[in-house]
Amino acid sequence: MSQIRIIRIHNELLGTYGDQGNAEVLAFRAKFHGITTTITDVSYNDPLPTNGDIYLLGGAEDAAQLLSLEALQRGDNLEILNFAIERGAVILAVCAGFQIIGNKFWANGKEVDGLGLLDVDSVPGDKRFVGDIKTISTVLGFELTGFENHLGRTILGPTAQAFAKVITGYGNGDSKYDGAVSGNIFGTYMHGPILARNPELADLLLTRATGRKYAQITDPLALKYATWRRKVIK
Amino acid sequence: MRLKLSIFIAKLAGSLSKSILRKSGETIPGLVLLTLYPQAIRELAKGRKIICVSGTNGKTSTTKALVSIISKLGTVTTSPSGSNLDRGVAAALMSKSEYAVLEVDELHLSRIIEEAKPAAVLLLNLTRDQLHRMHEVKRVSDRWAVSAASAPESIFIGDIDDPFVAHALASAAQSLSISFGGRKHLDGAVCPNCGIYLKWIKNNYKCPCGLTNTNPDELFESGGAAYRNATLANAVGKIFGGKSIQVEEKSLERSEERDYAGVKANLRLTKNPASWTEALHSVTGNDVILIVNSREVDGIDTSWLWDIKFAELAGKRVIVCGERGLDIAYRLHVEGIEAEIATNFEEAISKFSKGEFVHVLAAYTAFHELINA
Repeated sequence: MSQIRIIRIHNELLGTYGDQGNAEVLAFRAKFHGITTTITDVSYNDPLPTNGDIYLLGGAEDAAQLLSLEALQRGDNLEILNFAIERGAVILAVCAGFQIIGNKFWANGKEVDGLGLLDVDSVPGDKRFVGDIKTISTVLGFELTGFENHLGRTILGPTAQAFAKVITGYGNGDSKYDGAVSGNIFGTYMHGPILARNPELADLLLTRATGRKYAQITDPLALKYATWRRKVIK
Repeated sequence: MRLKLSIFIAKLAGSLSKSILRKSGETIPGLVLLTLYPQAIRELAKGRKIICVSGTNGKTSTTKALVSIISKLGTVTTSPSGSNLDRGVAAALMSKSEYAVLEVDELHLSRIIEEAKPAAVLLLNLTRDQLHRMHEVKRVSDRWAVSAASAPESIFIGDIDDPFVAHALASAAQSLSISFGGRKHLDGAVCPNCGIYLKWIKNNYKCPCGLTNTNPDELFESGGAAYRNATLANAVGKIFGGKSIQVEEKSLERSEERDYAGVKANLRLTKNPASWTEALHSVTGNDVILIVNSREVDGIDTSWLWDIKFAELAGKRVIVCGERGLDIAYRLHVEGIEAEIATNFEEAISKFSKGEFVHVLAAYTAFHELINA
């Protein structure tokens, strides 16, 4: 596959915490690998495209999170996502987006059913978890950095695996693990945006989306930036 | 402790801090006063006409404009520049005057409204900013609305092209709503009043719950942030019988001219996606220095740099510095703009020669260090 379709879901709702940059970094890294990309913004009223290779969801405020959930439950959208997962598409969901694709979460003081794509339940914490976060990815085996800003705690069910082990920060609220992963579905609390801070993760998602292995990219600035953040966050 | 004695000690602390510690001494007196006399704001506000100015961007310059309007009507005190927490308010109120024009932080506004019982509250705008502290834009807007509902004696004036401002004004017993013909809002996808997807037609919104910018009390022509803020200041001044000031955009921009060994620099405050976007429009020259920090008032997270489109910098010479210079360098890199990275501002400015003109877009803390240097 030499073309990748990146679908940015509800950016007007799920774009409050800077996560829209994940799409730009994917497209930028893809260029180094000789892959052409398209970024399609899907808004609240649009149906989800059926042919996406990477679907992205970002962080949001409570009211916006509920609207995004409602839109994703509308029409064929959930079926489209489930079919995308079956054919191997990648999903990266951050913070409110991570909660949306789980089984249950809380927003505006009430519990709602999520999309059930990841076997996790989120509940409100007793305080807001805000600050720099450093983790070590269970999938990649190396360190990741980001910034977290959330009230939710997330509990993993039996079929989900933690996305990363927390070195500094709160992650899922227990300061032990961050996010969840199941096949090509990735959920995390890490903003930054996560792919800007950790471009190697962008490469992994591209590999997962295409099923191909790519040669290592030489981008000194990306490396310098990622390495520096890993060093300064103790 | 008696209020008068507390003020005396607070003022003494301020002048000591100036003379011995060589600090600006602007926030110390207010801090000391509130420690010695927690009810000071409530007491000192009694019998005075208080005007509060709040919003994400433009507080300092709009407060200044309003002071110049109100000063024609009577004696005025105002907050020390940029000092907009409760201590700044307390410091301002220590001097006797008929009027007080106070710049108030968005999250501190509720407390100041409750204690100072202002005659008027001007709400400029509300957009994403320092989310590590504000958490959600909606959270701030809700606080404003609750305060507005509980202050029937105060008139709330605001730019309702911003739905968050409209939400607060709709909760007030007395309000003066102003529109500049509508404009897109980065965080305006959800109705702050009822939580449904907000329907926008071009630059205007109309929600079934009634929240809209299409029926303002006063309608003005559209224009830049400085013009809008001057217009809002004039509207507030008029309520008190003040004469309008000339709307000079330049004087209301948060920018300063400086000379660095013959290099002319225009310094401009940039602290969130909205103020960055406004500042990028003002870049006319080909040489730009960008300074990004991440101290508490700058916002300790830099993710929001990805909310800004930097296309206007393409083809220009861009030098980045500051504690988070690398963050902006990488953000620009992904947008196809290669910046030079300097270790600090001195190194960045030294790359230019005498007679050259450079735009400096600076984070909150960097801007204040530069203008106070």
